[in-house]
Amino acid sequence: MTALELPGAERKPPIDWAGYVFVAFFTIPFLAFNVAPLIFGAGLAFTKWGIFGKPQWIGLQNFSDMLHDEWVGIAFKNTALYGLIIVPGVVVFGLACALYVHQRWPLAGLARTLFFSPNVVSGTVIGLVWTWLLDTQYGLVNHYLGLLGISAIPWLTSPRWALFGVSIASVWWDLGLAFVLFLAALQDLPKELYEAADVDGANRWQRLRLVILPQLRPVISMVATLQMISSLRIFTQVYVMADGGPAGSTTSVVFYMYQTGIQRQLFGYASAVAMSLFVLILVMTFIMRRFVRER
Amino acid sequence: MSKTGKMSRRQFTKLAGKSALLATAAATFPAPFVKGAEPITLTHWSWLSASDAEVWGKMIANFNAANTDVQLKLELVPDDQYDTKLLAAAAAGQAPDFGWGTAGQRAQWAKDGVIIPLDDLATKVGLDLSDFSALPMKKARYPKYDNKLFMIPMDLMSLQPEVNLDHVKEAGLDPEKFPTDGDSLLEWAKAMTKRDGDKVTRSGIMMTGSGVQPTVTWGIVAAQMGFQRASDDFKTACVNPDAGKAAMQWVLDLFDKWKVSTRDVTNRYKAFGTGQGSIFWTGPWTLNGYVQQKLNFRTYLFPKIGQTLYTYFEMGGMELYVQSDTSRYEVTMKAVKWLSDNGFLWTTQGRGASPRLSTLARPDYKTSGHDWSVRGAFVDGMAFATEGEIPVLAGPDFTIYAGDNFLAKTLETVWAGQKSIDTAMSEIQAKWQSDLDAG
Repeated sequence: MTALELPGAERKPPIDWAGYVFVAFFTIPFLAFNVAPLIFGAGLAFTKWGIFGKPQWIGLQNFSDMLHDEWVGIAFKNTALYGLIIVPGVVVFGLACALYVHQRWPLAGLARTLFFSPNVVSGTVIGLVWTWLLDTQYGLVNHYLGLLGISAIPWLTSPRWALFGVSIASVWWDLGLAFVLFLAALQDLPKELYEAADVDGANRWQRLRLVILPQLRPVISMVATLQMISSLRIFTQVYVMADGGPAGSTTSVVFYMYQTGIQRQLFGYASAVAMSLFVLILVMTFIMRRFVRER
Repeated sequence: MSKTGKMSRRQFTKLAGKSALLATAAATFPAPFVKGAEPITLTHWSWLSASDAEVWGKMIANFNAANTDVQLKLELVPDDQYDTKLLAAAAAGQAPDFGWGTAGQRAQWAKDGVIIPLDDLATKVGLDLSDFSALPMKKARYPKYDNKLFMIPMDLMSLQPEVNLDHVKEAGLDPEKFPTDGDSLLEWAKAMTKRDGDKVTRSGIMMTGSGVQPTVTWGIVAAQMGFQRASDDFKTACVNPDAGKAAMQWVLDLFDKWKVSTRDVTNRYKAFGTGQGSIFWTGPWTLNGYVQQKLNFRTYLFPKIGQTLYTYFEMGGMELYVQSDTSRYEVTMKAVKWLSDNGFLWTTQGRGASPRLSTLARPDYKTSGHDWSVRGAFVDGMAFATEGEIPVLAGPDFTIYAGDNFLAKTLETVWAGQKSIDTAMSEIQAKWQSDLDAG
C-alpha cells in the first residue's frame, strides 16, 4: 500500500475497452449514416443549399414557402389517402389470410407460402409487374374485368384511378408481414377460449368478433401502426408505376422530396418537407396508439 | 503476446485502431495523378440509356483501342440523378473528368464553376472550332457568362414524326405525301386511328396523358402559333400568351375532339414499337432501337401546324467538370477532341446531325449508318429546329422536353381537366417571369 492510498478504498475495475471496440462496429456507422444525416437534415431545413457551395441560412423561409406551394398540399393529401386505403387494406386482408391458414382450409400449406411471397420481392419488381397487370389497354386485370362485362379501367393513366392502382400494388406487397404477425398471434390464442365460446353457443361470426378480435387487439395495433408509418413513406411504387402522375395524382410526400431534392437540387426545401413528414408520422403514431390502444 | 498466441485486449484494441487509420488514410489520400508510363484513366459519366447508348459505348471502345496512353472509363448514371450526383462529386473534389450535357441547361453550373470554359483549351489541343456550324457554337455558350464556350457539341437533334408504314398502307395513304400542314396531319391521323366504340385503341398521333409527349407537343405547336417562352433579351416571359393557350387547346383536342390520341398509353417508346400508335414525333435517339427490331417506319419533316414552321431543338455535347488537379484538363480536352473528330459513327448510327461542317460534307454521310429514309429528316429538319433551352439560371423550368418540371406538371393539370387553360397560362407566366427576373 502506498502512502496515497486510503485504507479501505476500493479500486475501480479496469474499463473493458474491447467491448467498446465490438460495439463500435455498429455504433459508428449508425451515428455516421443515421443520426448525423438526421441532424444535418434538420439543420438543412433552415437553409438554401444546392450541394455545391455552402448552405445559406434563411430561417423559416422554407417552411413559409411550403405553405404557398400547392404541390406540398397535394403530396400530403395523397399520402394521407394512401394511408387510408393501404392500412385498412393490409389489416383486413392480412387478417383474412391468416384466418384462412389458421383454420387449415384447403391448400392452407400452399396459401401460407403464396401469401408471404410478395413480401420478399423488391418494390421495384412489384411496381413493374403491377404496371403491366394494370395497363389500361393490355393489362391482365382489365382483360379479366372485360370478360365480366366491365369496361377497361384506367388504373394508372387517370388522375381519378391512379392512386388506387398504386395502392392495390402496395397492399399486395405489404400483406405478407401482416399475415405472418396475425398468424403467429392466432396460433398463440389459448384453446380454452374457443372451447368456452363453443360451450356458450357462439357462432363463427360471434367467435371472431367477441373472442378472436379482442385478443388480437395488440397485434392489430402494431400492424396498423407499422403499416401507417410505411404508407406515409411510400415511394418506390409511386416512382416505378406512375412517376407521381398523372397530374400529380400519385405524388407522395417522399416522392415530392425526391423531386425537389434529387431532381431540382433544392435540398433545404426538401429537408423542410422531410421534417414536416417526420412530425406528421410522430403525431399519427401517437393518435393511432391512442385509438387502438394496446392492452 | 503470450506463448499460446492469444492476443490481449490492449493489443487487439491497438491493432483495430491501426487498421481503421490505414483504411481511412487509403480512402482519403488516393494515388496521385501522374503522367508517365501508366496509361492515364479519365472518368466519363453518361446518362445515355436509349438505344443510342450502345453506339456511344462503341465510340468509347474505339477511343480506348486507338489510344494506349489514355483510357476512358465510362460510368452510366441515370439521367434523373445525374445532376445531383455530379454536384455531390464536384463538391467533394471527385467529379468525373467529363460527361454528357444538354446545351442551355447549365447556366447555374457555369456561374458556380462546376463546368469549365473551353475556348482556350480547345485552341491548346488544336480542336478546330471553325469547323463547327454557327448554331451549335452559339448554343454552347451562355451569353450571361462572358459568352464563353462551355460545351463541345457532339450532335444536333430535332423532333420529327416517325410514321408506321404498315398503318399508312392499311389506311390507303400515300407514303410519299406525308402532311405538311395541320389539317392534312389530322386527316392522316384520323385515317390511321382505330377505335372500339368511342375509345381509341390505336392512336393516329401517339400521345400520353401526362409526361414528356404532350408537353413537348404543346411547346412546338405553341411556338408555331407565335408563342415565345421568353423574349429575345430574356426579360419578358410568355410573349403572346394567347398563342400558348391555343396550343393547349390543340393538344386537348387530339384527345377529346378529334379523338386521334388516347391518354391510356404509359410508355410511348414501347407503344410505338408495338404498333399502338401511327405517328410519333420523337428524337433520333430512338432510331437504333426501332431499326434493330425491324419496325417498318419512316421519318418525315414536322408539319406546319401554326403560322411558322418550328420544331424542338436539343444539342448534346461534352462538358468538362472542375478538378482539383488542373493538369487533367488538357488530357481530357484531347480525348474530347478525338471523340469530336471521330464523331462520324455517332451521328450516322447514334443520334442527330453532326455539328461538324467537315463531317456533313463527307460524300458518304448520307449513305452510311442507318438508312436516310429514317435518318434524313433529323438532319434536314435542323433547318427549322429552334425551340431549344432558355439559357438562364432557372433554365430547366422552361424546358419543353420534360416530364416532371414545373411546366410539365402545370400542363398535366390541363390535360387532366383539373385546371382551365387560362389559369395554367397565368401560373406559367408568373413563374417564368420570376425566373427571368432572378437572372
